[in-house]
Amino acid sequence: VTSFSVVIRLAGAIVIFFGLDGLCFRTGYYRSLLEPESTAGYLANTLTLDQQRPTNGPNEIVAVGDSRIALKPRVANAAGTPYRFFTIAVPGTSPRCWYYMLREDDPTANRYAAIVIPVDTYDDRILEDLRTREVDIHYLTPLLRVGDLFEFAGSYPAWTTRAEAAEAVLFKGLFYRRDLQEFLVNHKRRLTILRDVNHRASGWRHDAVWGSASLAGMTVDWEKRVMQPERKQVAEILFQDQPPPNPEFAEYRRMWFGRIIQRYRGSRTRLIFVRLARGPVVRQGLTTDRTSSVREFARRGEIVLLDEHYFDSLERPELFVDALHMNEQGATEFSEMLAREVTRVLGGERR
Amino acid sequence: MFHTTGFFTFLAAVLAMFYLSPRSWRRVILLAASYFFYMSWNAKFVVLLLVLTATDYIAALWMARVPAGGRRKTWLIVGLCANLGFLGFFKYFNFLAGNVAMLLGRPADAYTLSIILPMGISFHTFQSISYLIDVYRGTQPAIRNPIDYALYIAFFPQLVAGPIVRARDFFANLYAWKAPQPKEQLRGMVLVVFGLAKKLVVADQFAQLADGYFRDPVRHPGSLAAWGGAIAFSLQIFFDFSGYTDMAIGAAQLFGFHFPGNFRRPYLAETITEFWRRWHISLSTWLRDYLYIPLGGNRHGRAATYRNLMLTMALGGLWHGASWNFVVWGGYHGALLSGERALGIGRRKGWQVARVALTFALVTIGWVFFRAASFTQSEYVIGQMFAAPGARVPWPRWQLWAAVILLILAVLEERRNWFERLVESPAWLSAAALGLLLFCIEILAYSGPAVPFVYFQF
Repeated sequence: VTSFSVVIRLAGAIVIFFGLDGLCFRTGYYRSLLEPESTAGYLANTLTLDQQRPTNGPNEIVAVGDSRIALKPRVANAAGTPYRFFTIAVPGTSPRCWYYMLREDDPTANRYAAIVIPVDTYDDRILEDLRTREVDIHYLTPLLRVGDLFEFAGSYPAWTTRAEAAEAVLFKGLFYRRDLQEFLVNHKRRLTILRDVNHRASGWRHDAVWGSASLAGMTVDWEKRVMQPERKQVAEILFQDQPPPNPEFAEYRRMWFGRIIQRYRGSRTRLIFVRLARGPVVRQGLTTDRTSSVREFARRGEIVLLDEHYFDSLERPELFVDALHMNEQGATEFSEMLAREVTRVLGGERR
Repeated sequence: MFHTTGFFTFLAAVLAMFYLSPRSWRRVILLAASYFFYMSWNAKFVVLLLVLTATDYIAALWMARVPAGGRRKTWLIVGLCANLGFLGFFKYFNFLAGNVAMLLGRPADAYTLSIILPMGISFHTFQSISYLIDVYRGTQPAIRNPIDYALYIAFFPQLVAGPIVRARDFFANLYAWKAPQPKEQLRGMVLVVFGLAKKLVVADQFAQLADGYFRDPVRHPGSLAAWGGAIAFSLQIFFDFSGYTDMAIGAAQLFGFHFPGNFRRPYLAETITEFWRRWHISLSTWLRDYLYIPLGGNRHGRAATYRNLMLTMALGGLWHGASWNFVVWGGYHGALLSGERALGIGRRKGWQVARVALTFALVTIGWVFFRAASFTQSEYVIGQMFAAPGARVPWPRWQLWAAVILLILAVLEERRNWFERLVESPAWLSAAALGLLLFCIEILAYSGPAVPFVYFQF
């Protein structure tokens, strides 16, 4: 054994390790076996179903987003517009996830007539620091490639999270191992669930019936910060002070929306930003900023902003199940309104 | 600690500093790294390590200066009292206080103190004691360079949980230090990876089964579940401790230090006597050389031999932890060793598989005392081991297969010595094996919260 052969053995071992890791986890095979209710499995399954569905011609519109976008594709498609609506929205995801999801779902950046991107506000105001969201790593592990190493890991401000993100990019097996071991123990159950889920239609979760509960009858005294009937979880969100403009959030949006814009620059796909209905009731006198990251994009003609107040009519207690999410009736009304407005913006004709 | 990214970063940094620095600095670098390693657990306790190191160092120097006799013995006693005093206080004070309180009819915690057990104290204390006794006996010269002696006590690969290295072995390595040959470097690296795999892939997985059973044995009545839980712990403790030891020996080898093996497939032993020649070898030989033989060994008739065996093993058990469970575990092994000696079992041949199985079963029964939360729980579990079968073994099928594969690997290693062959095998084969091993660690390591090494608590 010489020094050279030690180096060769170590290099060989590393190559074989990455070869096995790539063979098992980068070919897409294991992605199809992920537990469909896990974060990564839910997202991967959503994208797989959308990629496998038959094409409907050039007039397809897809929505990304989190649990707040109440788009029911079946309702939107029944609104009599020339467009076919789809959604790949996944609860808990953020703009960072949407970039990688769109890259996976639309590899040629030419599949859709438009992409609907929902936001809570056109202003750069937020309480949460989206840059630090570790859950994004868990959602995105199946979609990350070696080339994403620096971009993705570097998008986290803390070095510990960067290291975790780098691990997800480089060592897929590390992130899949809990799922894999669970599969080894209960593979029959998993395969049965997967057989069921993989035969569903794209967007089936969104087309299913949404919650029927509502906040109808709710009244709010903004001065006393009291709501009737009392709902603690709703009140906690409702009575939050409006957050101040957040430069980090603006930078985050510029980065991830900017990447989406960059990807679709020169493509036929229009990027349509939608400010969602803010909640079951909205406090009067909220400040609106003249400039913000998305307004800058719109000013440069890179995106389309739907009228900021277009969905204000949906801000009614009877359309919400809680402070953030719409119910079945709300989702139905939202889907119809969105279909009509997007069609109007796109010109209403088949392209 | 040894199975964290932080440790591997530390190891790589120390290796780089060690080999990139002039040779005269290397001992200082190793010592500084070892203290840094110790202080990363609890910085305050480094004072204890320094005090013990200084005491032993001075006591040994004085012993070397004076002729054999009373004054030499005085310095030996001073050194032993310091070491055993600290060990006794930190490890056994609360045990004694609890027992005294019980005898006086007071609550068990009436006299106890809030004491943190310093990391590795049982191991470095035994190293110190063997050094002092060897110097006293004149079989080991007193070390004059305090840095060398401090390094012997604090050398980070074996500081926390051994192996317990004799002074003559350590200083032979240190004073005749040679840069490791490529084959030794490779062996060191493979040992580290191999040890990591033992710990993360095997020990931690079986730990879940053992914990699942011992958390509440009453919920899993019957002999199948009891044996399932106890065997899971047998596998956990072996792969945990031998995995750690492989990593310690491998890491030391990367620095050019050769430590003797601490395990030799103990679960393939045909008798309990053979088991103790294969299990935690550095401890069993220490107990033999510094306790059993000084007590008289087998030189004073049968009764004295059995007494010495019982005493040595009971104290060996107590060394593991301050509880009656460990004393009983030690006494149980002492009784088995005495019984084997009385019946002449070690001299008989034949029925090899049955003898191995019986020895493994007896060892596994002993582990129940080791693992159980209390003596009452030990009694219950052992009772269940001989009860009706009851519920089925709560082992997932893939772990049953893993146990079978491990058994086959152990038998092959016993007969064919495949590990050493693998190190010397053609480059493509050892690269493939190492790559596969790394991949197994990646996907099969336990994915829950880190499980501490079992022997770190001792």
